[in-house]
Amino acid sequence: MTHGLRWLIAGVLALGAPLPATAHGLVVFATVEDDEVLVDAKFANGQAVLDGEVRVLDAAGQEVRRFAITPDAPIRFPLGEAVDGLQIEVTSGDHENYWILTPADIAAGGEGAELTQ
Amino acid sequence: MRKTLLTATALIALAPPATAHFGMILPSTPMLEQEDGREVTLEVGFGHPFEPSGMELARPAVFGVHSAEGDTDLLDALEDADFHGAAGFTLTHPVTKPGVQVFYMEPQPYWEPAEDVFIVHYSKTYLPAFGDDTGWDAELGLETEIVPLTRPFGLWAGNAFQGIVKRDGAAVPNAEIEVEHYNEGGVATAPSELMVTQTVRADADGVFTYAAPAPGWWGFAALSTADEQMDHEGETKDVEIGAVIWVHFEPWETTQ
Repeated sequence: MTHGLRWLIAGVLALGAPLPATAHGLVVFATVEDDEVLVDAKFANGQAVLDGEVRVLDAAGQEVRRFAITPDAPIRFPLGEAVDGLQIEVTSGDHENYWILTPADIAAGGEGAELTQ
Repeated sequence: MRKTLLTATALIALAPPATAHFGMILPSTPMLEQEDGREVTLEVGFGHPFEPSGMELARPAVFGVHSAEGDTDLLDALEDADFHGAAGFTLTHPVTKPGVQVFYMEPQPYWEPAEDVFIVHYSKTYLPAFGDDTGWDAELGLETEIVPLTRPFGLWAGNAFQGIVKRDGAAVPNAEIEVEHYNEGGVATAPSELMVTQTVRADADGVFTYAAPAPGWWGFAALSTADEQMDHEGETKDVEIGAVIWVHFEPWETTQ
């Protein structure tokens, strides 16, 4: 595990931010590209999530953004100043899951690069 | 006479069990979660899984990973490592996206004097990453392979695993499959050699089923003889080709 990822997970857990207990067949993935966070959320059958909500937590476990998913529109939001990592939670009905963007992910993506290790 | 019988019995008891050979690719975790980090470490070896003991594995002819992004050659990333007392390899591979990674190996032919054959086991292991099982039934197009009909991870101990044996892309009717548990730490015991390597036969469509009785890694090897022979010290010898897949079964756990 990279130092950044371990630190982010430990920080989120220590501050009591709720990690989703179960995935319920929802897969969430996020990348950073040109200072934007692009979120890919789909069900286990490959169907994209069309309805639901995105909640974004910073590395301290504080909610920094919450917005509804719009059908047929990509899920994206500005990266902002979040260089220490983000946790992106997606909820659709009773399905939920999350993706962690590490500082390394953000540093790489903020320079316009593909998400790398 | 009695002394001779006892000596023979003692020798049999001391002899290692006649276990099967398996190519082995064992990830550090059977299902990669975000909390595990963004990389996986593999143990790569050849040997007898139940003993467990290793046999020398030369640098493979092919070692790679298949995912939704395509195939990646990982041969140069293999590092020498001990595998249960024999030469093997280790590899740490970054995983950055959800989905299934299939690690596969075509070893160089191994000369087995005890059986008077060369052995080539095409081996593979399916690793899901970050909760996404997309690609669990991928067929890689190996010379011979077991294509999973049951998702080859996230199984409970006691679940049945089902696969279809293929050679050159076609089902192999009535194929014989050897099944063996990776007895990590040597904690499991077998009351009979017959219990070490289990055997099942596929049906007329090449489909077989096996229910693992205990958690851990289980190897499935469908063996056949290659059409081509190879030379060994001036004599032509048969080549045993194996389609090997490793499947992890999880313990059923309750809170009470």
